[in-house]
Amino acid sequence: MPEATRPRPAPGGAPACFHCGEPVPRGASYFIRYQDSAKPACCLGCQAVAQTIIDSGNGDYYRLRTDMPPTPEAALEELKNLKLYDIPEVQASFVNSAGEDDNIREANLIMEGIVCAACVWLNERHLHQLPGVLGADINFSTRRARVRWDNRKIQLSDILKSIQDIGYLAYPFDSNRQEELFRKERNTAIRRLAIAGLGMMQVMMYAVPVYMAEAGTMTRDIEALMRVASLLLTTPVVFYSAWPFFQGAWRDLKLYRAGMDVPVALGVGLAYLASIYGTFTGSEDVYFDSVVMFVFFLLTGRFLEMNARKKSAEAAESLVKLIPAAAVRLPGFPGNREEETIAAVKLVPGDHVLVGPGESFPADGSVAEGVSNVDESLLTGESHPVSKAASSQVIGGTLNLESPLVVKVEKVGADTVLSGIVRLLDRALAEKPHLALLADRVAAWFVLALLLVAVGVATAWYFVDPDRAFWITVSVLVVSCPCALGLATPAALTAALGRLTRLGLLSTRGHALETLARATDFVFDKTGTLTTGEFSLRGVYPLRGEQTRALDIAWALEQGATHPVASALRAANAQGARLQAQELRYIPGKGVTGTLDGRSYRLGTPDFVGAHPLDIHAPGLTLVGLADEEGLLAWFALGDALRPQARQLIAELKSLGVNLHLYSGDRDENVQALARELGIGDARGDMLPQDKLDAVKALQGHGAIVAMTGDGVNDAPVLAQAQVSIAVDQGAEAAQAAADMVLLSSEIGRLADGVRQARKTQKIIRQNLAWAAAYNLLALPAAAMGYVTPWMAGIGMSLSSLLVVLNAMRLSRPVSHADDRGVAP
Amino acid sequence: MEATYNYKVVRQFAIMTVVWGIVGMLVGVIIAAQLIWPDLTKDLGPLSAILSYGRLRPLHTNAVIFAFGGSALFATSLYVVQRTCQTRLLSDGLAAFVFWGWQLIILLAAVSLPLGFTTGKEYAELEWPIDILITVVWVSYAVLFFGTIMKRKTKHIYVANWFFGAYIVTIALLHLVNSAELPVTLTKSYSAYAGVHDAMVQWWYGHNAVGFFLTTAFLGMMYYFIPKQAGRPIFSYRLSIVHFWALNFIYMWAGPHHLMYTALPDWTQSLGMVFSLMLIAPSWGGMMNGIMTLSGAWHKLRTDPIIKFLITAMSFYGMSTFEGPMMSVKTVNALSHYTEWTVGHVHSGALGWVAMISIGSLYHLIPRLFGREEMWSTRLINVHFWWSTIGVVLYIAALWIAGVAQGLMWRATNADGTLTYSFAQSVNAMYPFYTIRLIGGFMFFAGMLLMAYNVWKTVAAGKAVNDARIPEAVAA
Amino acid sequence: MDILYLLIPLSLVFVALIALVFLWAVKSGQFEDMEGPAHRILMDDDSPPSSDTKSDKGVH
Repeated sequence: MPEATRPRPAPGGAPACFHCGEPVPRGASYFIRYQDSAKPACCLGCQAVAQTIIDSGNGDYYRLRTDMPPTPEAALEELKNLKLYDIPEVQASFVNSAGEDDNIREANLIMEGIVCAACVWLNERHLHQLPGVLGADINFSTRRARVRWDNRKIQLSDILKSIQDIGYLAYPFDSNRQEELFRKERNTAIRRLAIAGLGMMQVMMYAVPVYMAEAGTMTRDIEALMRVASLLLTTPVVFYSAWPFFQGAWRDLKLYRAGMDVPVALGVGLAYLASIYGTFTGSEDVYFDSVVMFVFFLLTGRFLEMNARKKSAEAAESLVKLIPAAAVRLPGFPGNREEETIAAVKLVPGDHVLVGPGESFPADGSVAEGVSNVDESLLTGESHPVSKAASSQVIGGTLNLESPLVVKVEKVGADTVLSGIVRLLDRALAEKPHLALLADRVAAWFVLALLLVAVGVATAWYFVDPDRAFWITVSVLVVSCPCALGLATPAALTAALGRLTRLGLLSTRGHALETLARATDFVFDKTGTLTTGEFSLRGVYPLRGEQTRALDIAWALEQGATHPVASALRAANAQGARLQAQELRYIPGKGVTGTLDGRSYRLGTPDFVGAHPLDIHAPGLTLVGLADEEGLLAWFALGDALRPQARQLIAELKSLGVNLHLYSGDRDENVQALARELGIGDARGDMLPQDKLDAVKALQGHGAIVAMTGDGVNDAPVLAQAQVSIAVDQGAEAAQAAADMVLLSSEIGRLADGVRQARKTQKIIRQNLAWAAAYNLLALPAAAMGYVTPWMAGIGMSLSSLLVVLNAMRLSRPVSHADDRGVAP
Repeated sequence: MEATYNYKVVRQFAIMTVVWGIVGMLVGVIIAAQLIWPDLTKDLGPLSAILSYGRLRPLHTNAVIFAFGGSALFATSLYVVQRTCQTRLLSDGLAAFVFWGWQLIILLAAVSLPLGFTTGKEYAELEWPIDILITVVWVSYAVLFFGTIMKRKTKHIYVANWFFGAYIVTIALLHLVNSAELPVTLTKSYSAYAGVHDAMVQWWYGHNAVGFFLTTAFLGMMYYFIPKQAGRPIFSYRLSIVHFWALNFIYMWAGPHHLMYTALPDWTQSLGMVFSLMLIAPSWGGMMNGIMTLSGAWHKLRTDPIIKFLITAMSFYGMSTFEGPMMSVKTVNALSHYTEWTVGHVHSGALGWVAMISIGSLYHLIPRLFGREEMWSTRLINVHFWWSTIGVVLYIAALWIAGVAQGLMWRATNADGTLTYSFAQSVNAMYPFYTIRLIGGFMFFAGMLLMAYNVWKTVAAGKAVNDARIPEAVAA
Repeated sequence: MDILYLLIPLSLVFVALIALVFLWAVKSGQFEDMEGPAHRILMDDDSPPSSDTKSDKGVH
């Protein structure tokens, strides 16, 4: 039996939390009762979650699990917010009524926090124990759950709440949007592939004996029998499995263009028809085996590519999450304050909605009442919160941080900024060329050429030595079967992509690796790419008193505030004394005042504390002052922190011979300071999205192949303009949908590994193609001249394919020293 | 009732696996001894006919394959299908019928074969009345198994069930086709096929019986018991699915390799060779999948003798699935065919793979069936493991050398074209190897006795579990 | 080799049956989760009841 997964001992000897494995802070006294003993917990959240799990009889989870769950988030959605999911209009978008009974409902949930199979086990068991839940089925691969419940006995919000109770986060999504489409597409692809695969194996079983039988040992009628059987098997492969090729070819022909499906369809169709003719006239030229094999290998390539595409669609799904499902409308505003909760889709321009702190705006609009700070980083990449007052514009999907706002709705649905960005992404995606399909195309023409050569060879031999013409033609066909050619690219790409995915770098587009390998210029967006995008304390400048005392006072004043400055100040003083301030008063956008030991303090902007830090040079940093009744005590300099591996990444990219650029929307002096620190030559600040686009176009005008890394949706146009784009930081999932590659790992140094891997992949693909070409160049003339018997041809073809695949497998090994540092926690 | 599993039939078959293993292997030891001492049973009066080599040999094969192997498969498949489908067997009555029916068949075989009633078809020697009984029991088994799958509570059908399912269907088909015969009297019948057709059908049967009974079905066992005993999920579930479809599809076609250098058309033999070689890929894929399941927990290979049994079985599976295709290469076959090498190959599969995976699975299963945490003695399992392994290695090494020597002696010619050795000389050369084989086989048999003792102690100290709860948290 | 006139059509029937089984498997969603099932069998509460971990008061 598996041993209970015990938390790793935390560094520094602190006991590890029984639930999440994080070190238990000194002085914390949370305990979990498990099997008659008390286990330490790091926080109230872990304690509550663990106790819920154990008390509901699912304590085995701790024995079964193989990975530690994330620490439950303190600010989980309140039940009030979850209640919104019970509203029929809201449910309309994601709930199916299963069967005739309207009360039996089914919804698809995105599950967050699932790290190992025991999580699946725990959630399924937990859900089944809820009265009224009829079924719960969690897909471990996709982290999606399907739940069926009886609405008379339990509400969806109760289900979501009880999932939160055991430390996971679930929210419904509209499965009809993308996932269902992909599921169907994938199933169809598997069916086509399976039919082709079965057909191929079986046709080969009829074909091989014909090749192997020495002249005269197989009678003509047996041979004819095998051909008819092959025909019967090839027919579904051609008309079902290969159908997309015919469809594509027909579409292309109608538009008078030679798409890549045309030669495929032609090759398959011609070979098939010729073989039927051969079957019934008893002629020698029957190519059923080549037909099915070709279809199978092409479909395999497409299937692999489709799976890669699915990953990008999953990221796109997360964009839907940005807009809340429901909104609180104030129908009588400003006359009365009566609230009603309605589905966000029901909002019309002119409505007034109330958006509390911690909630997202349901639509675009302008502030009608209230003052607050708004986090727009998801949409703009701006790391600083933006202050909003009456008549300020707010964007749907952004997050209200501080105090309630009444917003007058101006744009809804397709008119919103978010929808506009989504459309932009869709178009940019659609316009990109599918370079990855080149191999298919080459293979398709190759087959056509092969058929022509075969006909030529057959004709020639017909005049030289009619008896040998058939054998030699068959040899030519088999020996030069484009399997190796067809496998060369997809095999290498799959192996490389698998390796990269393990490194935390996900490719969402077929051409990404190819272009990354050729990239000459790397363009960085400062925010969140080279920096963490989070505020942290970069320096303290005490004017009176001690530095630690100043920090302790700041901690006391900012206790309970949610502003990023407050979080940064608190985080910087995690070990300090715990003072208690009274009469705390927050002035939005300015600062905070309070009293401590009878003295009153102010903490906030230079204006707010009434002083200006003339003697402190802190480019790119935000200064916050602390003053008491007698004047200024200290300045705190806060700013974006450099990512841990940024320096190393820049050095590695330089050593790989890539030109580096830093184009940012931040203040120019900040950008220049960062560029100097990292040693990037070309750095520009104060750039609008349009400026970035122009700058990238200018680079491309000089022949550069640009790899763009960014993190916000506002980067989307420039991400699309660059030949290859890499989204960094999983916070802004929206951008990931558009990017060619996504860095899932927080270690930015993986990008350099990505470039190395991409270049190695290119090398292997070239080797593979060269091998396939050289093999065919040698084998084809040899076969055409009659030196190769069909069975030798068969073995040659198989070995050639095997070699290509084995060569590609080399890509699944680490490229470099990458892994040496990879495991650092 | 519905909330518990039917462990009774699993328990019955599990115990009978051990019993029939001992019986079948004892007969094997006796006939191995007869090869060294041909007169061993000559002077036993009326018994001498019954105990003659020709009568005991089919009893040995039937007992180890269908009584020992069969019982192990019934026990494990009926256990796995219940646990992975999270539902009770379709019918307790049918389960009891399958158990008692199968035991009756074994008893009838144990009586009729020594008395000399045989159809003369290898691995299908039983006469037509027993064939009909086999058909009835097997169809009941199929209804029981697939009926249980149909009433499963989980959406997914675990890969082990696919392997078991393929085996059940294919064996039914093989049995029906190969046993088509015309009864003359109650104890005598003639095959429906004649001449080379009969040979081809017989080896289509013989080959696929090995393929689906001794390979596919035991792979089903492997895909459940290795992950369970190791406490880790199978290395790659995706690979296991590919393994299933590829293996079963190709296996069907490699049959003619049993008829190399016979009246079969040359191209048919070559076809058998090609597909035998192709078999290496899925076989080794499956083997790697089983062994790599332990990656990250290799220490269990040192500490857990059950894991040792299971993983050693996978190694022997890999060895014999490499050796087999090699022996189907015509030039190799020219040397190996009709020699002891073939017997050695069969036993590296039968003892090393089939018996060891079954023994490992039973050691996992029996404590669970009798409400115990583990077997009575883990040390005894360890001793059993070493006796078995050394026994198998002695056995196959001896016969490998014997076979090659035999093949070389048979084909050696003098300068004038006459044979260098007479047949009797080649038989004489076998004595030392036969002796080593007997020692190896006896060690394996003795290991089974240790197992029986261990099982006895476990059962005696335990209590039959009749109310194994079905977990209520099931997928919709 | 007249037997081939039986065996080859028979093989076609087999292939068709195998294809049907496979198509059913796709349709019933057997290949949708290629990781979960491997883990699921490990978590089916099959340790013997004598073990002391089962207090299971929430289980019915």
